[in-house]
Parts: sequence; C-alpha cells; structure tokens
Amino acid sequence: MTLAENVFENLRMELRRGCLTLAVLAQLRQEHYGYTLRKALAERGLAIDESTLYPLLRRLETQGLLASEWREEDKRNKRFYRLSSDGERIFAQLLQEWQAINTAIHSIL
Amino acid sequence: MELLDRYLHAVKKHLPWEKQDDIIAELRANLESQLEDREAELGRPLTQAEAEAWFKEMGPPIQVAGRYKAQQYLIGPAFFPMYWFVLRLASLWALAIYSIANAIKIAVEIPTLSAVADALWHIPEVLLTVAASITLVFAILEFATVRNPSLRQKLAPLDSLQNLDQGIMPQKKRRSLTIAIAELVAHFVALVWLLLIPEYPFVLLGPGVAYLKTSPFVLTPVWMTFYWWIIALNVLQLGWRSWELWRERWQGRQTIQQIVFKALGLIPMVVVLNAPGHLLVTLKDPMADQAQYGRVLESINHWAYRGLLVVLAIATLQLLWDTGQLGLETYRKRAAAR
Repeated sequence: MTLAENVFENLRMELRRGCLTLAVLAQLRQEHYGYTLRKALAERGLAIDESTLYPLLRRLETQGLLASEWREEDKRNKRFYRLSSDGERIFAQLLQEWQAINTAIHSIL
Repeated sequence: MELLDRYLHAVKKHLPWEKQDDIIAELRANLESQLEDREAELGRPLTQAEAEAWFKEMGPPIQVAGRYKAQQYLIGPAFFPMYWFVLRLASLWALAIYSIANAIKIAVEIPTLSAVADALWHIPEVLLTVAASITLVFAILEFATVRNPSLRQKLAPLDSLQNLDQGIMPQKKRRSLTIAIAELVAHFVALVWLLLIPEYPFVLLGPGVAYLKTSPFVLTPVWMTFYWWIIALNVLQLGWRSWELWRERWQGRQTIQQIVFKALGLIPMVVVLNAPGHLLVTLKDPMADQAQYGRVLESINHWAYRGLLVVLAIATLQLLWDTGQLGLETYRKRAAAR
C-alpha cells in the first residue's frame, strides 16, 4: 500500500466510523440479532465486517443506547438488539447532526 | 464445524473472563447463521479451504477478541501532548547534564579515550532511564484519571481562557524606576557587606566565627581569588545598573545583561575548581593535625569539590538555556518581521 493509499484508507475509516454507528442505530429501530442486522445493512449498501459490527453492538449496549435479550429462534439461542429509550433520543439528535453536516457538505460541493 | 469451534476457542482465550461465555455464545450464533446461509447458497458444505479463507477474512482471534475490549491507552490523547513535550525536554536536559558532568569529570581527571568511550556508551542508558521514568509517571496519571475523571479536569493544562492567554502570550513587565533604584541600592549594600567579610567574618558566619578560630581547618588561598572575582563582578554590575539609571534605560528587559553576568559568574567557580590538587580546605597545622584530621580533610575536599562541580554544571545549563531562549526569541522576531 502506498503512502497516499494508506492516508486515504485511514481517512475513509474515520469517515465510516461515525456513519456506521448512525446506520446501526437507525437499523435497530427494528429488532435484529447480529447476523440479520449485518445482512440488512449490506442489502442497503453498507457492508460491515463481523469483527467490527458485533463488538460495536456490545459497546452501544454498554453506553445504554441499545437493549438486548437472549431468545431462541430456529432452534438456536440468539441475542436480539433494539434501540433503548435513551438510544432513540440520542439517535434523533445524531440524525439531526448528520443531516446538518450532509446539507453543509452538499452546499460546499 | 470443527474449525469454527477451534476459532471460537482461540478468540475466547483473549476475552475478559467475566464476558467470555456470553460473547462466544453470541458470536457462535451469528457465525453459524452466516455459515448456514453460505452453505445454502452453495448447496453444499464449505470445503476446508473455503472455511479457512472465511476465518482468515475475519482476522486473527486475538484481534477479534481485542475489539470487544474497551480501548486502552498507556498514555491517552488527553495527556499525550504534555507527555511528549516533557519527554523531549527531560531527555534534552538529561543529555546536557550528563554530557557536561562527564566532560568536567574527564577534564579534571586523566583524560583518556576509554573514559570518553565509556561516557558515550552510557548515553542510551541515561536516556532510556529518563524516558522510562517519565512514561511511568504519565502512565500512572492516565491510570488514575481514567478511574477518576474529575482528577483529569483538575490536571488539564488549559482550564480557562485566562490560562490560555498567559500560556501563549506571557506578560513582559517593564521595570519601574522604583524597582531599578531598589536593585541598585541592594547591590550597593551587598557589595559593602562582601567587602566587610575579610575584616569582620562574623557578618558572614555569625556566631560560627568562634568555631572557625578553634577549628583545625582553614580555607586555601584559592578562596581569596574567588572572593575578589565576586567583588569584581559586583562592582561591574553596580556600575552597569548605575549607567542604566543615568541613561534612563532601566525599563528595558535585561536578558542579554543577565546572560553576560551569568557567564562571568562561572569564572570564579572554574577558578576554585582548578585549585592545585583540588584542595579547597587545608589544616592550620598539618604537622600536628594530619594524623587526627587527615581523613576528614580528604573527605571535606572530595565532597566540596564534587558539590562545586554540580553547581557549575547547573549554572552552565541555566546559561545555555537562557542563551537558547534569547536566540529563539530573536529568530522569531526576525522571522515575523520578514
């Protein structure tokens, strides 16, 4: 990887990091377990690694933005996540912030 | 699937023990669902090579487990700039002190190539020790503040705009006439006091004069040379300050003047350090007292000499620092004027 490619990759990762959190919160307005959430995001054009998504879910839960429960589905125990009430409030704020940034970037471009 | 079990087992080893089972159960459920989907797409089980490629894509178990842990820093972003600044400054000072101390030591002892090589050989050790000590202090600070966020606020270097102003634009106070006159008077009084010492030693030693009379020890003549250098420097400073007042130039910053006097102030110390045989104290009556006080005398001279070396090293460093600061300030002014 050249230096320029490395710089691009780092900046891309930084740009994606915040967006992924927003996308995960948005998608978890409906209940999902890890794998179906990953599939749902990928279907909408936001592919995300397992090793990134599953720890992210844990972190968001620790921060109180998600609630989770273990439940059996298709003869397998799965952990289902959804937005908590705090998560809904913060998601609304983040969405507003993202829309403002998006509008600003569009006007700059 | 055996490979999945082995992979999850490897991940589990690197997870915090209290969350291991929960995380692994969740990861297993997700990966098994994913595996089912892939096998349904292919219409057959994954081959060994395909499974290996899949796990390779997910990353090494230690890395996967690492993402479940809270991000940890030895020294986090809040302290890192301060740490880096202190580390560079301390390393520079350590290097300077070590170099000067060794240069003086080599110069006053018998200078040999092996002594120089030995001093150079130990430089990395000195720098590593300083760096390790500074890192340890900041790591402890990081550790303490992560557990006590209010402490971090107290330790924050810039906690108000007032501090910010002081930090970036230090106030350069001009000397007032009162201060200039007070300094002149203080210098004059100090000079009179110094001149009285040979005739009336009690002004320096107080009741200790009695001990001086009965003591078997006496200062060597090199101290008289030292004394007259100090008198000369004081006369020079008094003259300079009088001239400043006369020419109404007391308001200016006296950086250059201070550097010049600090440089001149090193001369008397060098004079004393060059005393023959490093003898700073001797016996009043060597024939009578050598047997009884010989070892004490040797010890006094040894430690007095070492102490003066340290003082000289510190004074030299201070001079170098001031000179460097002045040079930097001049360079910045010139660069800003361009």
